Amino acid sequence: MSEAVVGFHEHEAQAAHPSPPPPPRGWHRLLAPGWLRVPWMTALFFGIGAGIVVLVRWAEGWEPIWKGSVITTVELAAVPFGFLAGLGGFDYWTRYAIGAPTLPEDHSGHGAYSWRDYFRINTDHKVIGIQYLVTTVVFFVIAGLLAMFMRAELARPGMQFVDNQTFNGLFSVHAALMIFLFVIPAFAGIGNYVIPLMLGAPDMAFPRLNALSFWLLPVAGIMMLSSFLVPGGPFAAGWTNYATLSVNQPLGDTFFSMAVQWAGASSIMTALNFLVTIITMRAPGMTFWRMPLLVWANFTTSLLVVIATPFIAGSQFFVLFDHIMHTNFFNPDAGGYPLGYQHIFWFYSHPAVYIMMLPGFGIASEVISVMARKPIFGYRLMALSLMAILVLGFSVWAHHMFVAGMAPWLRVPMMVTSMVIAVPTGIKVFSWLATLWEGRIHFETPMLFALGFVSMFVIGGLSGIYLAAVPIDIHTSDTYFVVAHIHYVLFGGSLFTIFAGIYFWFPKMTGRMYNEKLGKLHFWLTFVGFNLTFFPMHWLGLQGMPRRVADYVPKFADLNLFISIASFGLGASTVVFLYNMVVSWRFGPPAPPNPWRSLTLEWQVSSPPPVFNFDEVPQVVGNPYEYGVPGARHGVFNGDRVHEPEEAPVS
Amino acid sequence: MLFGAGAAAVALLIPWLPDPASKQAERINFVFWFVTTICIAIFALVAAVIVYSILHFRARPDDDEDGPPVHGHTGLEIVWTAVPAALVTAISIVSAVVLAQNERLPSAESASAAQAAQASTVNGLCKPRRGDPLKPLVVCVTGQQFAWLFQYPAFGNASSATLRLPIHTTVQLQLQSKDVIHSFWVPEFGQKQDAVPGLLTKLVITPTKLGTFPVICTELCGLGHALMRSQSTVMTSDKFAAWTKSQRRGGSAGGGGAPSGKALFVSNGCDGCHTFKPAGAKGTVGPDLDKLPALAQRAGQPLAQFIRESIVKPDAYVEPGYPKGVMPSTFASLPAAQLDALVKYLQQGSK
Repeated sequence: MSEAVVGFHEHEAQAAHPSPPPPPRGWHRLLAPGWLRVPWMTALFFGIGAGIVVLVRWAEGWEPIWKGSVITTVELAAVPFGFLAGLGGFDYWTRYAIGAPTLPEDHSGHGAYSWRDYFRINTDHKVIGIQYLVTTVVFFVIAGLLAMFMRAELARPGMQFVDNQTFNGLFSVHAALMIFLFVIPAFAGIGNYVIPLMLGAPDMAFPRLNALSFWLLPVAGIMMLSSFLVPGGPFAAGWTNYATLSVNQPLGDTFFSMAVQWAGASSIMTALNFLVTIITMRAPGMTFWRMPLLVWANFTTSLLVVIATPFIAGSQFFVLFDHIMHTNFFNPDAGGYPLGYQHIFWFYSHPAVYIMMLPGFGIASEVISVMARKPIFGYRLMALSLMAILVLGFSVWAHHMFVAGMAPWLRVPMMVTSMVIAVPTGIKVFSWLATLWEGRIHFETPMLFALGFVSMFVIGGLSGIYLAAVPIDIHTSDTYFVVAHIHYVLFGGSLFTIFAGIYFWFPKMTGRMYNEKLGKLHFWLTFVGFNLTFFPMHWLGLQGMPRRVADYVPKFADLNLFISIASFGLGASTVVFLYNMVVSWRFGPPAPPNPWRSLTLEWQVSSPPPVFNFDEVPQVVGNPYEYGVPGARHGVFNGDRVHEPEEAPVS
Repeated sequence: MLFGAGAAAVALLIPWLPDPASKQAERINFVFWFVTTICIAIFALVAAVIVYSILHFRARPDDDEDGPPVHGHTGLEIVWTAVPAALVTAISIVSAVVLAQNERLPSAESASAAQAAQASTVNGLCKPRRGDPLKPLVVCVTGQQFAWLFQYPAFGNASSATLRLPIHTTVQLQLQSKDVIHSFWVPEFGQKQDAVPGLLTKLVITPTKLGTFPVICTELCGLGHALMRSQSTVMTSDKFAAWTKSQRRGGSAGGGGAPSGKALFVSNGCDGCHTFKPAGAKGTVGPDLDKLPALAQRAGQPLAQFIRESIVKPDAYVEPGYPKGVMPSTFASLPAAQLDALVKYLQQGSK
């Protein structure tokens, strides 16, 4: 890694910037933003949180004054603030807010010159992108291990390794980590790195906000994991945390409700940042119809995030209030409405499926067009279908509730809108196929994952049609059929595109090439292991195995054993990936600026790019996917403008 | 073609769905195969194009040329917008029709299918319809952690821990929950419905096959969720009539003698979680009740008092090794006479 970032030295911040202030000495170091300030500020905020609770309870005369569940809830809000403040996440804004003179921007928070620069508040979108990706891969591995424990328990009927509480915790934490700490932020990480480069911008619109939104992630992830340590065990009501079950859960459930707030805040901040960046920081000539499809995908995803995420925040606050403050949002005995939870929850969580899918569509479009050496087929319809999914995505939430006992008239309209989403999705799939047709296809690892994604996502999409059809859904709802479906969508869909994206931009991010043979091995192990693990689950569900059970009837024993063995193979394939990433990052051969001969702007600069991305502002003169068009250029740099257009530099 | 054949073979050679045992399941199967036919066609098309492209459009490693600069084709794009739109419209229509059929009740009183399935938010009390008690047969289903209770209001509130249904008779289940959300499912009947606290939800089943089928809870309802299984028995009309009669004669319906401790143990679902030999219970979620005296000793309480407290205030003392908050506290509302009977039964049975 240290060698990989040496490239940054060659592009020091321009001389015009003020020189950084001298580093603090002695005890002053405790006041400077950083890890020395974290412990005491965290303790300070812990004290403030506990103090407020004790004071209020004492003033109101509530016994006991020191109540664990209330203190914990307040501390889950207060302690992260202390941590973030200690790290320096709020320094600039605090000075501004209290009227102190703000520090002149010296760009000392930009770029990474040693590994330490990845462990501080860093405002460089490229550093943040890598922080995001490494963090999310760590949580991916942890969540994957939880799944391995689950499959170990499920290998035989009856209970072998864990008790019911632990098992319910395993699948709840597995899902919550995969969704909130892996898929959603991994796409945000890829977007963070790539989007400003694709737009021809020097950074994101709000670099400090960007840094803060990253540091919220480890907070949320550690909060979820630490629920394993509290009395009563981890949160165990599923990642859906349905009321009224969740309201009566032990303390661990509070950790889920609060962690979702932090992860959600992170999502919203990043999404706002993407929106403003995409709208205001496009290079000259980069009209909306010249944006690469990954930019389009992040644009629509960000709109989804900004509109929908407050709903899950609300749903979790309501559960928390019912839990801690004895409100009755969902308590039917006091006029509450349990189904209200599901409506609010799914109003976020169905759009969340598209939040976890649309950036993948964008990545697939980039990879397929470049590696098939053809323009993306039907570019404008591809962009418009993203917008169609965005709009329709908000009209289908109740298809998760066909058997929930909601208003019966709502079912057929929700079925129709859910079915209609198949149309824009189908347009995308068929357009990718048409892009492949008559192309000159190169089967490097990113392309394998992109094609794996298209085929697996089609299976996930088609099983979605079954689930949208009300009568079939009534039979299959809450069974292993649904487990198979979501894994075909989120593993075969999202994860395959995340892998495609990581391999595709690995040379750009690290300045080194990954090992192609290991990449291909990783793909085939994953592809085969994935299908052997999840395809049989369709049958289990249709035949009568409910989801979220540690124990099942003996007639499903053989197939479950088979699935468990396959899943261990699938888990092992991740080792190949990790090995390839770590070793290639350190020892891989240096990457040329544009190994894939792509036209988009991020490939027209060095690998990795200079600190401020572009030494000169690029001028966008054409569409991003003009492969095979003689002399076509997407972006040109000032020096180039007078010359004849020529092929993008080939290394 | 090859992929279509392959996918069709996978679809046909494996028995994907359980044998339908109700009219509703037969209709659901029809929709399933209707959708499957369409999906196989689409999957075969996609798979064929991908595999053909992989085989025929593969570039040699040293090939630096680009493909033809085709940007789109309006006609094709219209086709692959319109055809899927038509297909999903067809699926939607078939589904909507089957849904309406699956919720139709025989009696004239059920004006519309929508009304039949209506969840009422009134403190929904399950009650039989007027007229013929078998048109439809109303069964009150109560879900609680972690057991089902089935009651027959038209037959003197006869109650059972397993669902008993006469064949070829349309049944309306009226579902309630005492604690959290549960979901009633019999795979062979194809029908599923959540039981939601505070709501009365409804489900229609017309059994067409004699036999015993599993009842499964499909909504995560707590620690004993996996074990919240029961059975449904479809019997001939004569046998069903005989059963209801025997229940009416010997049962608790008349308000006569107090129900037996064993009946209370089963009807309150204790057997879902606890082992207790006298009741034939083998649950393992909660402590083994055959060892009650030892448990009471550990808690430092007299046996009867310990049993009573553990039922009405389950978290007052929790046996080490078992988590708090699992045993429902809803049993505190049992009538005093029933509570006494239950305590007595457990006290005697564990000695």
